Amino acid sequence: MQWYYSKNGTQLGPVEQGELVARMATGEVTASDLVWREGMADWTPSGQINELRVLVAAAPPPLQLSDESGVSPYAPPHAGTQGSPYAALIPNYLWQSIVVTIFCCWPLGIPAIVYAAKVDSLKARGDIAGAMAASASAKTWCWVTFGVGLAVVLIYLLAAAGAANLR
Amino acid sequence: MIHRKRVIGAGLGVLGLVVALYVLRQVGPDGWWPGCTFRKLTGLNCPGCGMTRATVAALHGQLGAAWRFNPLGMLLLPLVILGGGLELLGWVRDRPPPWRLRLGAYGGWVIAVAVIAFWILRNLPWWPCPLLAPP
Repeated sequence: MQWYYSKNGTQLGPVEQGELVARMATGEVTASDLVWREGMADWTPSGQINELRVLVAAAPPPLQLSDESGVSPYAPPHAGTQGSPYAALIPNYLWQSIVVTIFCCWPLGIPAIVYAAKVDSLKARGDIAGAMAASASAKTWCWVTFGVGLAVVLIYLLAAAGAANLR
Repeated sequence: MIHRKRVIGAGLGVLGLVVALYVLRQVGPDGWWPGCTFRKLTGLNCPGCGMTRATVAALHGQLGAAWRFNPLGMLLLPLVILGGGLELLGWVRDRPPPWRLRLGAYGGWVIAVAVIAFWILRNLPWWPCPLLAPP
């Protein structure tokens, strides 16, 4: 789900829901910043949207790298994201891509499966941004495969109906 | 928060699937539906070839025949129904599903490689490769 948010009067986004929750958890998007997604009547402060609040509450506080916190500033860059709850929010579309590959009978499903496979291995490496990109690609390929499969069936049906009319 | 539109959409989708499977079971694999486009264009088998006949056989309880038409499809089908069903549940509830069928960091790669290898192998002429192609 794509969200837009607003900082200091500037519209930002769209970002995926997991990414928005991540930005809320780090304080980049505050509870009073306005957010909006398709289907909402108006821009609303993020703190008033239940689905976001629940997710942010479930996330641990952000990793503090300031001097006072006592955490070494030389910590590995992915220490904060490895196994983070945001990772669980990224869908891998593996099952969807297998469905379109088997049933749409179309080799286009192969890139969908490959991107889906990339999601989990990137996530295991702590590359959340990469996993999100692969997830988006897998989703796109699933829809492309489904669309092409559907189009082929429709064209076939139209052609069959046309042939029946001519006879 | 449950989206009523998504519940209706998912309900119609599942109903449509059940009706389609029933029609497929009654009519058999040689109905009016198109065969595999890839096979028509190239004469080669794709990873999904034989899946219609395999599904009809499985719906009649003939699992051995179903296996013969598309062994990889028959292996993946139960996993897909479980994993895909959970994803559908998550979509209806508009939040990640309560439990996901995860295959780990490399499970997806195993399936990707298996599908591509299956695609190549079932087109090779040497024994035992033709056993993978639908008869």
